[in-house]
Amino acid sequence: MSLELTRNFSIIAHIDHGKTTLSDRLLEFTQTITMRQRQDQLLDAMDLERERGITIKAHPVTMLYPAQDGKTYKLNLLDTPGHVDFSYEVSRSLAACEGALLLVDAAQGVEAQTVANLHLANQQKLHVVPVINKVDLPAADLPKVRRQLEEILAIPGEDGIPASAKMGIGIEDILEAIVSRIPHPEVPQDNVLRALVFDSVFDTYRGVVSYVRLMSGSIKRGVQIRMFSTNKTYEVKEVGVFTPKMTARDVLEPGDVGYLIANMKSSTEVKIGDTVTDAQRPCIEALPGFKEIHPMVFSGIYPVSSEDFEQLKLAMGKLQINDAAFSYQAESSAALGFGFRCGFLGLLHMEIVQERLRREYNMDVISTYPGVVYEITKTNGEEITVDNPCYLPEPQEIQEIREPMVKAFILIPNDYIGEMMQLVMEKRGEVTITETLDDNRVMLTCGLPLNEILVDFNDRLKSLTRGYGSMDYEYDGYQAANLVKMDMLIAGEPVDAFATIVHREKAESRGRHLAAKLKEVIPQQLFVVAIQAAIGGKIIARESISAMRKDVTAKCYGGDISRKRKLLEKQKEGKKKMKAIGKINIPQEAFIKVLKTD
Amino acid sequence: MSTLVRRLYLHVPFCARECPYCGFYKHTPGRLASTDFIDALLAELSLRLETVQMIPESIFMGGGTPSLLSRSHWLRLASGLADRIDLAAVREWTLEANPRTFDAAKAEAFRAAGVNRVSLGVQSWAPRTLATLGRDHTPDQAREAWRMLRGAGFNNLSLDLMFSIPGETAEEWQQSLDETLALTPDHLSCYNLTYEEDTAFLTRHLAGELDVDPDRDADRYLETLNRLETSGFIHYEVSNWARPGKESRHNAAYWRGEDYLGIGPGAVSTINGQRWKTLPDTAAYTRAALSGENVRTEVEDLTAEDLRLEALGTRLRTIEGAPESLVKPSAAEEVALLVAEGFLKRRERRLLLTRRGMPLVDSIVGRLV
Repeated sequence: MSLELTRNFSIIAHIDHGKTTLSDRLLEFTQTITMRQRQDQLLDAMDLERERGITIKAHPVTMLYPAQDGKTYKLNLLDTPGHVDFSYEVSRSLAACEGALLLVDAAQGVEAQTVANLHLANQQKLHVVPVINKVDLPAADLPKVRRQLEEILAIPGEDGIPASAKMGIGIEDILEAIVSRIPHPEVPQDNVLRALVFDSVFDTYRGVVSYVRLMSGSIKRGVQIRMFSTNKTYEVKEVGVFTPKMTARDVLEPGDVGYLIANMKSSTEVKIGDTVTDAQRPCIEALPGFKEIHPMVFSGIYPVSSEDFEQLKLAMGKLQINDAAFSYQAESSAALGFGFRCGFLGLLHMEIVQERLRREYNMDVISTYPGVVYEITKTNGEEITVDNPCYLPEPQEIQEIREPMVKAFILIPNDYIGEMMQLVMEKRGEVTITETLDDNRVMLTCGLPLNEILVDFNDRLKSLTRGYGSMDYEYDGYQAANLVKMDMLIAGEPVDAFATIVHREKAESRGRHLAAKLKEVIPQQLFVVAIQAAIGGKIIARESISAMRKDVTAKCYGGDISRKRKLLEKQKEGKKKMKAIGKINIPQEAFIKVLKTD
Repeated sequence: MSTLVRRLYLHVPFCARECPYCGFYKHTPGRLASTDFIDALLAELSLRLETVQMIPESIFMGGGTPSLLSRSHWLRLASGLADRIDLAAVREWTLEANPRTFDAAKAEAFRAAGVNRVSLGVQSWAPRTLATLGRDHTPDQAREAWRMLRGAGFNNLSLDLMFSIPGETAEEWQQSLDETLALTPDHLSCYNLTYEEDTAFLTRHLAGELDVDPDRDADRYLETLNRLETSGFIHYEVSNWARPGKESRHNAAYWRGEDYLGIGPGAVSTINGQRWKTLPDTAAYTRAALSGENVRTEVEDLTAEDLRLEALGTRLRTIEGAPESLVKPSAAEEVALLVAEGFLKRRERRLLLTRRGMPLVDSIVGRLV
């Protein structure tokens, strides 16, 4: 089929604005798949994805659409992950397209994620077709949404196609718009192989399956390909398209979206955004936009019981085969034993990995307080990055610390603007733009340190707006800040698991909070236990646990002795899980409890 | 070859009423002892005597409330014992008694059969505390019971008290000690209230009605230690005090790890490294024992490590202390620390609790295991 009859597009939307339902309708309308098949397919999807209303990885689909102009078009729908943590992946999927459907809920209007996604689409210079979904809802307000399109997104309001994916309204209009408004792939200037890898999955039997968009040249089974970034060559075992099942084809040609299987054993061998070229006749330059992805958020993950370390290691390895963006490295903590320092693309990615370890691998794990990657200029001029507070140089060796920033888009009802600004300020952020969206909503564009939104920002946003607020963000470089390393000392000794890098002005309150938490969970001892928060040698917060005064079983006669022994056996077992700090013995569960509830 | 055992325990699981704090196996009215029950005890004893050579040096009858046995049941039990075992070597024969469960005649019958020590369950002298504890005797009735026992010729009387009862003031406890000392007891057991499994008290505690106050526990205990020490008592175990020479031989034998045979529903025996419990169901027990069945349950074979832990756990609680050899070399540092910090002291290769360590022995042992 010729290039002129091919359209490659994605659907971008805020969570719950109906992306999955619209995809289903398009597939049904084009008779690519029946309702029944789609149900089965959905049931197979990861629980986690469905629960969170996000799609981590859905493969592309090719549809054939006989348009009103009498020609049959090949439409390739590429799915995109719906969260900013995966914005690089999203950008690569978008780079494989010429256009995007921007889906907006007719009742809810433009949301934070809509804005963030549109930014990504604009960066890829995609032709955007706005679709106003759920027009059948009683609360639907078409004129309002059209106004928002113009005012917030700078898209002509009348371009919005009214639709209801649920009721099957406007589906044909959308398909026609895809054909008429989205351009076909450009005609390549030469026939050198250039294919963009926009996603990959790991198949237990076939190894890595790379999802590719052919920009120029062609690719077929048996040829030697070279991955541009790693310079490694592979023999192609199979190429094919998604109809929607993976279906082998003889060849993939320019404009095609499909898959290729070569001899890759792990997802780390293929990098998203990389260029596939011919080993014999390689392209000179890679396709634009490739980036090595680096984790932005780090956290220690430890097995709750130390016997599970080896099993956890296996689980991490398996996770990484599927998820090259996830990184891990063994580390040991005096408080928590053996575990891993893990890197994630962002918050959601971190939660997904933790949840998958629990659900799919049945691992009982505990995570340390998440942190970000700091850039440090040392007094001797050396530049370093630090992702673990334990490795922060001594204060006198630091000339400057810089922290990663985000640009956050926060949409909230007008009534909560005061509280929201306060929250942003509390999190060391700054509101740079305030825009009125409609009669009752505003959008705040804020600069915030990434570190400050890692833990409870989104929860607090949701609770202070009674669930009506939404937030999305994009990374926005580094900024110098007055940051210090705060240690928690128990009986005078620092406990590594609780070391954090905090802003100087927030250190006291954080220190007091942690000290109080520790006081709550550390059982009374024979000795007084001092709990202190310290910066360098300076104590900034303290608590103490008074010594236990009485701990003695009242009765111990013939019938009580077995019970007494069982108690001692328990104490003996418990002792193995105790961390001795000076004279103090602290059960590992105590540390775990603090990390779990903090 | 049968094993020689010198300690005999008999469990009589009947009570006039159920005390809401007591976790022992016992019954309340309507199910008092029957002749069959007495015969069942004797039948179980006969069965054990097939494998155990029983020449008791001490006998302990506990419960329940053994003093609740009728005079005729008592006589049947006492003569049944005398028929089956040689009582010539008995030096201490203790009977647990509650006020209002016996009269002068019964007290004399106990004495006549050979009982030479009675432990009277007084628990408190404060009427309010007695009510909290669900006891059905008044302070006067307790005094009367004491007089009857002295009148029957008992010169080794022990009295049970409980302290740190929710609602009881420090003064009330001091007064309880005063009243107690005025009776010149030979032995005292003072127990910190503990919320035992399957008791009404635990339920009420969990419901927030009855509190636990570690500071109150500690204060009462220390007051008791001081008070009894100045009154000439030897504090020979965590919860036990005696006039010199009046320490309980039977209980001391438990703590030293000697073998003991327990008879009656719910009684525990430990003989030759094996421990078992007698079926804790009076009706089933009576039926089974009378038809000659073996009524042992929960049989466990004790390993050397089990015995080490038990010895450490019980011996450290006593005035004799625990041989240092019971502590593994890996805990040597802990021992040194606890000695340096004044919780333990060393004497002739034994570890003894100090006054500071006494109220903390559970934590201390926990560090030594």
